[in-house]
Amino acid sequence: MSALLEIRDVLRDFYSKHELYLFPFLKFCLAFVVILTINFNLGVTSRISNMVVVLMVALLSACLPLNLLVVFAMVFTVIHFYEISLECAIAGGAVFLLMFLLYYRFSPRNALVVLFMPIFFGLKIPFVVPIVVGLLCSVTGAVAVGCGVIAYYVIAYMKDNATLISSLDADNLIARFRYIVDGLLEKKGVLVVLLAFCSATIIVWLLRRLSVDYAWTIAIFAGSVIMAVILLLGGLNYDTGLSTGAMIGGLLGSLLLAFVVQFFAFNVDYSRTELVQYEDDEYYYYVKAIPKNSVSKSKRAVKKITSVL
Amino acid sequence: MLNEERIKLMTKMAAYEENEGKQFMAIGSYFRSDYMGKQVIHSVISATIAYLVVLGLYIYYHFESLMQEIYKLDLLGMGKRALFYYAIFVAGYAVITYIVYSVRYNRARKSLRRYYNHLKQLLAMYDLENK
Repeated sequence: MSALLEIRDVLRDFYSKHELYLFPFLKFCLAFVVILTINFNLGVTSRISNMVVVLMVALLSACLPLNLLVVFAMVFTVIHFYEISLECAIAGGAVFLLMFLLYYRFSPRNALVVLFMPIFFGLKIPFVVPIVVGLLCSVTGAVAVGCGVIAYYVIAYMKDNATLISSLDADNLIARFRYIVDGLLEKKGVLVVLLAFCSATIIVWLLRRLSVDYAWTIAIFAGSVIMAVILLLGGLNYDTGLSTGAMIGGLLGSLLLAFVVQFFAFNVDYSRTELVQYEDDEYYYYVKAIPKNSVSKSKRAVKKITSVL
Repeated sequence: MLNEERIKLMTKMAAYEENEGKQFMAIGSYFRSDYMGKQVIHSVISATIAYLVVLGLYIYYHFESLMQEIYKLDLLGMGKRALFYYAIFVAGYAVITYIVYSVRYNRARKSLRRYYNHLKQLLAMYDLENK
């Protein structure tokens, strides 16, 4: 444990020492991965799938505010949709625009969650997102998680049906549009996933704020159980696109990642909890103080030995 | 001579001004009514555009049947219904905006009050040193 804590401290020190260069570099990496993921999934357009374009956008994202990456990702996705058909671009673009108008202005900080959701769905561990959002963000993060789920299913639908949509009668634009909208609205399984992920986010957020020992651990387990129960029950009636085996594997992987996040963000020693009471002119204070786990760094003494011959 | 307590306080305040304080100070520069009014107006504009997008999609989806039956339709009634839904949607969204931003405004004021207390402490430290 102490070795892990030492590694954590080394990582923290390293980041704080080189934050000036590391933050833009991490933004570059994130932008690169996001755009590549979009191109890999919807990569029908050779012009914007070009590696030079991807690198340019990633470099631009490294210099610009993080939230602009969300806009870049949306623009890339809509251009890919346009390559499938104009109606795909209209339907997909409208969904993104509604998210942008109705949610993004409330909580722009959580907008990155919308980006992470399709990536983690691709990695088969989407369950980690609601848990981590519940741990690190406020309750409004549940809406961001919901937007991420919708964005993923819209992208997945367009990807799965690209050939079919392209082969439909090109002269009848409205029929194509109706086919796309009907297909999107028919997917009732999305509602089950939405319910599971949003409930898990809210449950995790509620539990981790409790003043009980191991609140974060309890929250992580409770969120996972809630998700599993809703997805299993909902999966009996609707197609969620998640098989039971993949779900269990994904949940275990997500739990592991959630504990890694907990290790970095909330690592305390409950055995040394102190309860103190005091008062001033206006209030009585009941304070519970839990010390953070930390290790004292081993001091290295450098001894210079110079010999004179 | 360096005053360690004062330096600690100033560092804490500088960190606050750089991070969360920046956002709160922007909020704190408004009167409550002005801030809330501005946010609600922004929300009404956003909600209006969102409603027009949804309405546009609805009309596009039903375009063929609407064109076929355009002479049989009660256009005035449909317009009234569209306006009614618009009013409900915008009012609902404005209420949510009002609640969210009033919580944020209160939080910002509370946080700024703590910051101003630190400023007072700092001033007291300077006064004490000058005496």
